[in-house]
Amino acid sequence: MTDNAKESKQTEPLLSRRDLLKVAGATLGTVAITELVITGPLSPAEIQGIERESHGAISGENEWHMVIDLEKCIGCQYCMWACQGVNDVPTDEMRWNVGFPEVTDNGTEFFMTRPCLHCSDAPCVKVCPVGATWTREDGLVSMDYDRCIGCRYCQVACPYDARRFNWEVSEQENPYQPTWGTAEVERRTRGVVEKCTFCEHRIDRGVEQGLVPGEDVQATPACVNVCPVGARVFGDIKNPESKLSQYLDNNDTFRLREDFGTEPKVHYVRPESEV
Amino acid sequence: MATLELPRRQKVTPFTIWMSGLVLLLVVGAIGMAITLIYGLQVTGLRDQVPWGLWITHDLSAIALGAGAFTFSAVVYLFRMKSFEPIARVAVFIGFLGYSSAMLVLAMDIGRPDRFWHPLIYWNVHSVLWEITWAVILYSGVLVAEVFPIVTELKFFDRYPKIRQFGHSLHRFTWVFAIFGLALSLMHQSSLGATYGVLSGRAIWFKPSLPVMFIISAVAGGMSLTLLATLVVGLVRGVELIPRDLIRSIARVIAFALLGYLYLKLWDWAATSYYSNTPGAADALARLQATTPYTTTFWWLEIVLGGLVPAVILLWSQLRRNTAYLVSALALIIMGVVVNRWNVTLSGLVVPPQWSPGVAGGTLAVSYFPSVVEVMVSLGVVAYMLTAFTLGARYLPLFKKVEEQEAAQGN
Repeated sequence: MTDNAKESKQTEPLLSRRDLLKVAGATLGTVAITELVITGPLSPAEIQGIERESHGAISGENEWHMVIDLEKCIGCQYCMWACQGVNDVPTDEMRWNVGFPEVTDNGTEFFMTRPCLHCSDAPCVKVCPVGATWTREDGLVSMDYDRCIGCRYCQVACPYDARRFNWEVSEQENPYQPTWGTAEVERRTRGVVEKCTFCEHRIDRGVEQGLVPGEDVQATPACVNVCPVGARVFGDIKNPESKLSQYLDNNDTFRLREDFGTEPKVHYVRPESEV
Repeated sequence: MATLELPRRQKVTPFTIWMSGLVLLLVVGAIGMAITLIYGLQVTGLRDQVPWGLWITHDLSAIALGAGAFTFSAVVYLFRMKSFEPIARVAVFIGFLGYSSAMLVLAMDIGRPDRFWHPLIYWNVHSVLWEITWAVILYSGVLVAEVFPIVTELKFFDRYPKIRQFGHSLHRFTWVFAIFGLALSLMHQSSLGATYGVLSGRAIWFKPSLPVMFIISAVAGGMSLTLLATLVVGLVRGVELIPRDLIRSIARVIAFALLGYLYLKLWDWAATSYYSNTPGAADALARLQATTPYTTTFWWLEIVLGGLVPAVILLWSQLRRNTAYLVSALALIIMGVVVNRWNVTLSGLVVPPQWSPGVAGGTLAVSYFPSVVEVMVSLGVVAYMLTAFTLGARYLPLFKKVEEQEAAQGN
């Protein structure tokens, strides 16, 4: 637009009234668009604001976080198995909650486990073309298996390998499911992506019944309940009295690859925290 | 293709041999698609760490190589450069074939093809893929509207004058379609690069240059495929379908697009790998070089053979006038675009980011090789494109304007 205006101005003597009007219109338009980008609804500040809102800004009363204490963890893998039993994940390749032996660069051996980190600025939420995954008011990154089209862009976007795709129909028996109980979550269909939910079904039912997730077992993720050494702590970061807030206050924690800017809600205590 | 150059009027004509080969491949592709739909994506070589592979490459390449349609439409019907008109119809037709192939492959690649319409109903305006889905669907509509008038010129439609009339009335709005086509293509051709460019967790991809490089390479590749197809049809028929002046102009435009593309790539590399050293990208590139051939294929197939060599051939008039050199140069450019789409897709996936706080665990590199079924489906879709183009070149008036002009000018 500015180019046109300039060109026209160079040949000013030849400008008709009509052309002058065009130039004036173009100038006004340019000014309007530029102002729109600097201060208006297209300004960086506004876009950030709009984006936060539509991504489901964490505006609820609660915001659920988890601490995984790598120093306390003994590597029993119960958290992985409990997750598979409760959420009906029959095969080890599909694990939502993964774990493997690790060693720090100064030689300390530890067991690394990783659920979905429920990032506050989750790449998977931004990229989903159908909004089948979103951030809830309480910060959980949730999924709608009925809406997912199975394009797997979320898997490509997630830098933590937290998402699993149903490559085939899942029909096998779940060896992690005890004979006296049933899984709490329906198994997913072929062709959709799934991931750890922080056992949102327990949180939702629990909160409805007046229970406190992280304190009452019925309202707490299975992996947290089952840990024999209390290496996983769960709770509301907005309540300074919660177990989780207390734990974060009393320990040095870090989050995985903070340089990605994903703001994960899972915090880790270093395996050799006294060093 | 070589079989086509055999002399005609044999009992078994080269045309029948060529078409039987294509039909065979179509059957192979149909079997592959059936297997995929029945057994699901477990029949692919993909996995959770490498969820995109051959089919996404095929999809990206088909759309990029279909870019000749919007380029030539804009040049002819919007910028009114009439000298390019003889190639506009065939460009639009190839564009239509490219986009329909892409949709065929994509229907196989998504886990729930029965939900392909979800992006139209459930919106996430923050997803580039949502924007791409809309733009590709709308642009496919534009291509149908541009191809339809050509199809109605078939003898078959002598019996249906109303349909032909509708085709002609559509044709009068070609400039409108050219505007929409240009806008939609500028959107999704670039956003396909942004699909990777916006992912902050993948250091190799995360850069603003990817969308721009995608559209420039698409314009160069799309024009190359259009010109190559025209030249091959001309060779087979033994006629000059477009004037030499036009070949020269198109070749030069392609060459300058390539040089611009190479210049961008040079700075992309220099700014991120030579003058600076982002820890994430440096680590990923080092792992890429150690575990995959992609560093080699990037420099040799994308830059040298797919960019520099053809640019030189297209700008060097002695070489360009030689049909063999010209055809090879165009084929090299197309190869370069396909290799680029493969390399971009796979390089970010096979060296996943290290998120474990330890030094032993986590995956250093994962590998991917397409399965037999993936190859079958892709071959089938390529065969679809070739079959449709062969029939189109034989029966549709793709070059009618030229033939009419030649008759009128007595040339």
